[in-house]
Amino acid sequence: MPEVLTPPKQSTFTVALIGNPNVGKTTIFNRLTGLRQKVGNYPGVTVDKRYANIKVEDQEATIIDLPGTYSIYPNSEDEVIVHRVLNGLDKENRPDFVLAVVDMSSMERGLFLVTQIMDLGLPMAIVLNMSDTAQEQGIKVKSHALYKALGVPVIQTNARSNHGISGITDLISQKMFEKPAPFINIQDLLPQDLSERILARFSLDNTYQAYQLIRFHDKEPVLSLEDSRWLHDQVETADYDIKQTQLEETQKRYKAIQAVLESVVEKTDIERKRLTDKLDSIFLHKIGGYVIFLGILLVIFQAVFAWSAVPMDLIDGLFASLSSSVANILPAGVLTDLISEGVIPGIGGIVIFIPQIALLFAFLGILEDTGYMSRVVFLMDRIMRPFGLNGKSVVPLISGIACAIPGIMATRNIGNWKDRLITIMVTPLMSCSARLPVYVILIGIAVPESYVGPFNLQAVALLGMYLLGIVAVLLTSWILKLSLNFKERSYLMVEMPLFRLPRWKDVLITMYGKSKTFVFEAGKVILTISIVLWVLASYGPSGVREEAISAIEAPASDASEEAVDQYENKVASAELESSYIGIAGKFIEPAIKPLGYDWKIGIALITSFAAREVFVSTMATLYSVGSDVEDELTIQQKLESEVNPETGKAVFNIATAFSLIVFYAFAMQCMSTLAVVYRETKGWKWPLIQTVYMTALAYVSAWAVYQFLS
Amino acid sequence: MRTADQIKKGELATIDRILPSELTLHLMEMGFLPGKKISLLQRAPLKDPLAFKLGNTVIALRKSEAKLIEVTLEN
Repeated sequence: MPEVLTPPKQSTFTVALIGNPNVGKTTIFNRLTGLRQKVGNYPGVTVDKRYANIKVEDQEATIIDLPGTYSIYPNSEDEVIVHRVLNGLDKENRPDFVLAVVDMSSMERGLFLVTQIMDLGLPMAIVLNMSDTAQEQGIKVKSHALYKALGVPVIQTNARSNHGISGITDLISQKMFEKPAPFINIQDLLPQDLSERILARFSLDNTYQAYQLIRFHDKEPVLSLEDSRWLHDQVETADYDIKQTQLEETQKRYKAIQAVLESVVEKTDIERKRLTDKLDSIFLHKIGGYVIFLGILLVIFQAVFAWSAVPMDLIDGLFASLSSSVANILPAGVLTDLISEGVIPGIGGIVIFIPQIALLFAFLGILEDTGYMSRVVFLMDRIMRPFGLNGKSVVPLISGIACAIPGIMATRNIGNWKDRLITIMVTPLMSCSARLPVYVILIGIAVPESYVGPFNLQAVALLGMYLLGIVAVLLTSWILKLSLNFKERSYLMVEMPLFRLPRWKDVLITMYGKSKTFVFEAGKVILTISIVLWVLASYGPSGVREEAISAIEAPASDASEEAVDQYENKVASAELESSYIGIAGKFIEPAIKPLGYDWKIGIALITSFAAREVFVSTMATLYSVGSDVEDELTIQQKLESEVNPETGKAVFNIATAFSLIVFYAFAMQCMSTLAVVYRETKGWKWPLIQTVYMTALAYVSAWAVYQFLS
Repeated sequence: MRTADQIKKGELATIDRILPSELTLHLMEMGFLPGKKISLLQRAPLKDPLAFKLGNTVIALRKSEAKLIEVTLEN
């Protein structure tokens, strides 16, 4: 286990950081904690819990970074978490103090959240952040007057330029938090007897907490079924309309806030057009906007592939030499084989993705941090909608080009469940980087290396595979849209923040944190599967293997090195053939024959079920090239020269190669993706449906391609 | 009655009320409240969604959500 899931209790107190999205809350968290951040889980939801222990003077404080939210009403999982932590349902994570971050130029909405927390009765302090943009817009806030009006300590900062951060540290170390009086008249929100009954049963402190519990009871997985039913019955009996009350509460709260702000905020009208508005007329231009977006995509694409090539080769080489040196150092035996052929390559298979994933997260971090991402959502929403997708689906789909795992994780900010589910279901159809080595080899066989005009045919074919993925995504989501019957209304409500320069330190911290999560979350699955595969490929029914090996003619003692090599490769191939996996490959041969595959390709299909990039190494072993995975050219030559003993024709003719390419483009061959889909949809239903339809799509398309071409 | 999707670029309007729907509360907590001034800042290239300026923030809504916001144009 990489992390402890809950902060260790040696810390003296806990501070929860809360605020609207885009108010610089994460910057403040990063400034306070640096790389000491840890990521854990909250029970029952997929929201990551970010926290860090810091030393303030001689005490230790745990800072929890809560997800950005506009209110504590439950619209998404993020808000469920905020409510749970603040309302004390999650005893483990209940903070002693709350530090609320408010954008100084958008006080009204910031205070909406702040005053809700005040009403919950938690000791708190307010950080008025982004004083620079407020100043540019002619906004001045009288902190002391705000303190007087709310009863909550207030400090002003500009976290981007580090201004005022020491003030926050002082505030935390001296615990200058105050428990304010309720901001609105909370007694009016609930009938008194109902409130009292709830307070008594759940040992809550005030009416507002009881009121929030009613609002949340059907969305909160930590509440027992019994408690949830009890609340439901109580509300029914009291004939209490929570929705209506909430609308009234919202208006009342805003009115009260406006009254406060009138005396606290001074605004001089500045008739200057905002720089952001000027930039928006470029970035959102009806033609230019899309050209820029495409350009940015190309740069990211190029970088993710080109920049990661060198570190990926290095990692590959490193693990290969690690394997062989372990095999040499440790005494020969099953355990050594397991370590050198199962565990080390398994870990290598995870680590090799880190450069791509880290780069992708860095780019996504920059796009998010500059405010560009919400413009992409704005540009793409209308185009995605006919397919049942959403402007917010674009980010996961783009990430899917590198790897479906971060893509699926990025669907969390799609508030609407149907849109989010469709996005999760189709993201694995994007051509991810693990398909690339498979494509490269097979296209090398199927497509001649000739030029049509300035274009290399093989490159065109590769581009075609990516387009094929996109077409499959759109078609599948369209079908899902028609077949999924959800009542939930599809909507888009997204704030477009000011354009800003990226903060490199924050980008790096995000990149580091997300890559770490990937390695440990997906890593566990990949490692397990590689070990299982190794066992299945290394063992077979007793007797069969010995027979197969003894059938191979051993080289004479004075044979050349080449002949010995050849012998060893033949033995490796025979071993695999007689293993459990080899037997399985033969077993499925009748089913894959119509696609143009023999049992050897069948083995590759089975091993690729865990991870499709395994194809290359399996083919390498099967066609006895030895185990040098990197040597793709020789594998390719070997495949091309492979002849079917029955027909005397080449196994890899154009029809088979294309059929196989198409199969790999559509099939669900990634355990880690399945594991992530399971985690994000909280059950096996959707990952199973996904596996079935992707495999069916792959089978039917590959069959059609083979029949058409042969 | 005019709704927010009918506001043209350069026009300023005041929100009268939010029509009842499952999104009412969500719109309100984003700051779409009766009495607030609203203007159209950008229309996406395909005429939808729309970016509204509301106070100091810019919020993008689809036409179907903007239809839920009743407004009166300022003169």
